[in-house]
Amino acid sequence: MAKDDPSTSLRGSAPVIAVTGASSFLGANLIGLLEEDERIGRIVAVDTKAPSTAGRKTRSYEVDLTEPSAEARLVEIFVAERATTLVHLAFLGSPHRAASWAHEYESVGTMRLLVAATQAKIAKLVLWSQTLLYGATPSNPNFLAEHQPLRATPDEPYFADKIAAEAEAARFAQRAPGTVLTVLRTAPILGPTVDNYVARYLSHRLVPTMLGFDPLVQFVHEIDAIAALKLAVDRDIAGTFNIVGDGVLPLSTVIKLAGRIAMPLPHLLADPLVAAAWMAQLADAPPSFLRYLRFLCVADGALARRRLGFRPAYTTREAVVDYASAQRLRDLKLLQEVS
Amino acid sequence: MSPKKPPRAEPRTRDVKPRPKSSATASKRVVVEVPARTKGRKPTARRAAKVDAPSGVTPEPTPARETVASALLEADELIAANRRSRDAAESASTEGAAAAQPEARTSPSREEIQSRITELEGRLDRMLEAASQGSLPSLDADEDGDGDDAWPSQVAATHAAAPPSPATDELPEPPTERFPSPAPLPRPSVPAAPLSARSLGGEIEPTVFDTARELLSTNYYLRKWGRLGMRNRSEEVDDFGYDPVYEARVKPFLDFLYSTYFRVEAEGVEHVCEAGRCLLVANHSGTVPLDGLMIRAAVKRLHPRERDVRWLAEDFIFHFPFLGSLTTRLGAVRACQENAERLLRQEALVAVFPEGMKGTGKLFRERYRLQRFGRGGFVKLALRTRTPIVPVAVVGGEETQPLLARLDALGKPFGLPYVPVTPTFPLLGPAGLMPAPTKWRMRFGAPIVVPGSPDDADDELLVGRLAEEVRGTIQEMVDELLGARKNVFLG
Repeated sequence: MAKDDPSTSLRGSAPVIAVTGASSFLGANLIGLLEEDERIGRIVAVDTKAPSTAGRKTRSYEVDLTEPSAEARLVEIFVAERATTLVHLAFLGSPHRAASWAHEYESVGTMRLLVAATQAKIAKLVLWSQTLLYGATPSNPNFLAEHQPLRATPDEPYFADKIAAEAEAARFAQRAPGTVLTVLRTAPILGPTVDNYVARYLSHRLVPTMLGFDPLVQFVHEIDAIAALKLAVDRDIAGTFNIVGDGVLPLSTVIKLAGRIAMPLPHLLADPLVAAAWMAQLADAPPSFLRYLRFLCVADGALARRRLGFRPAYTTREAVVDYASAQRLRDLKLLQEVS
Repeated sequence: MSPKKPPRAEPRTRDVKPRPKSSATASKRVVVEVPARTKGRKPTARRAAKVDAPSGVTPEPTPARETVASALLEADELIAANRRSRDAAESASTEGAAAAQPEARTSPSREEIQSRITELEGRLDRMLEAASQGSLPSLDADEDGDGDDAWPSQVAATHAAAPPSPATDELPEPPTERFPSPAPLPRPSVPAAPLSARSLGGEIEPTVFDTARELLSTNYYLRKWGRLGMRNRSEEVDDFGYDPVYEARVKPFLDFLYSTYFRVEAEGVEHVCEAGRCLLVANHSGTVPLDGLMIRAAVKRLHPRERDVRWLAEDFIFHFPFLGSLTTRLGAVRACQENAERLLRQEALVAVFPEGMKGTGKLFRERYRLQRFGRGGFVKLALRTRTPIVPVAVVGGEETQPLLARLDALGKPFGLPYVPVTPTFPLLGPAGLMPAPTKWRMRFGAPIVVPGSPDDADDELLVGRLAEEVRGTIQEMVDELLGARKNVFLG
């Protein structure tokens, strides 16, 4: 970004960026951005399949992080490619019913990956995390700073695995002093092309809400989330940062802006109902996500603005409106899904 | 996760900035309103057309297509010329396209082009109406007759097909070839009678059929519902969820409470800072605390700058259904150091009730005896942010719901700190929580500038002493007001 910035990555003339979860939404888009950046020497894409955005500079490796042999394989790859930076995006963007597989993939997979990264002497790690992990409680301050504890319920593997992965990353930074660890906690990502549980939640004609609760919510636009990852790759700034869009909106207003109708459910009833629907593959998320429909979980993006220089291009409202305009076309079957 | 087409992300986010604006406006139109059918699509254009051609329309079903096509093409070129002239005016260099064409031809005045566009639109409208009677196949998509559906596709088709024309008044090609000669038209299956009014070129009158069809479509109700939903809320709220539109909506009720029900009298409002951060510290009262709302109303009415007070409310309100979202919209903020500090750093006017739950949970016999001021959090806050403190005494609130007993254990299942027992509450059900119409008085004291530096916030002894001082000041003010009061209900 800023060429005269002293913190701009200057190790070697052309850094080699390894990206895990390369074929996921964030991974593929980040690789697309890195391909266009002439300062990046090479991109090492690690995933079970090659990203659709892979270009001239990208080398794809098919590695399954859930396999025990992944560790040795990753060391080989990182050493052979002389990777300098690791961007770890191999996380699920939406909750998954196969919890044990998700645990292997996210928690254990991160452990394997970071052990390999230590052995390959990778000097910089960019980790994707989510503000969801702060947990939604009525005692949250309106804006959660980065130093707040991650209080999301550990009963939900989706949160527990990611919290474990963050802890693993902190251990990685401790193991090798001098490594740069940048953790980006993104707010729920929303935008015209992203397909995650938030987008699906807002795509129903009747959107379930909790009767009597109307928490303030916050989103980050997909472009901003990807731009923040790119920024973290470009600059060697250690720390944990909330990546959020400006502004908050009441959930009910979000639903209105998306052109949907809220369906309030009493929260005592909703829990078993959503649990059943989740098991029957009818719900977008397990019942532990219902707390986010009742209580605040909004993060403060001031630190990322100040230290990382991240300026979101879209406010929360603009992200919702942008999503809604695309979703409207999808509703009318005018927009074809590219998969 | 399946890979998606990349959304043209750019590393420099500032470059992307203009995009959301356009998309926001575009979909706002989509979300907010679909023009009602009975109003017609472009009333202004139609009116203008009538003035231009008072003779009315001659219904010619068969050649309508050619006329429509040529008119569309003409309009298309006019729009192109309009854009060109605008571009030429905006760009400083007059070379290129602008230079290649003589001034007089390329840029007729804006008004001229506008009027011609209006006229053409009017003509088109009339032709479309005439054609709709003959139910041209190309217009079949427009089922509901308001032109909404057929219009964009028609224009788009012509836009796509029309070659870039060099000048305004040069028609490059006769446009008829793009439209094959009309096949024998199928007879319209709808009864002709309700449509005859349109064919005569008059305003579209909603017929019984139209109204019935509209009322039967689910879309109609969804639209109405959506409009109802956004009626009493803003599209944007501030950081803490305050919604000015919602407040304006309930303002009559708050005004009634303030001036008729409690007959609030406030003095010394001028002590509240004119601008900048300021901390109001008040005694807390009432089982359902209304003092935050009333202080807000008093400052809003009596302060020369009509400042907005944000008051800090207890946690339990936010556990509780309805209460939390309601008070948030009206300007309450959950009481915690982070929130208060953020508000003060935004130069807001913040009201705090340091007694907290101990204040609202005082029994009736303890009324107007100020409880311990927490751990002096508000003093720390004032020290850290260098904020002056304005003490506020509120009298009258304690008698609204005289608390006889607290049932702590019963509150647990409801997420409440306790279940209050008042002379009316569990007895009369929820209606028993209605506050008694007592007479309220408020006094705002002179600002106290807490001595000390931000580092002193860690000095517990100093903080405790300062908190006690402020409490003493407020207690004095309360006692003075109580001494002057003769009757609880009449003041």
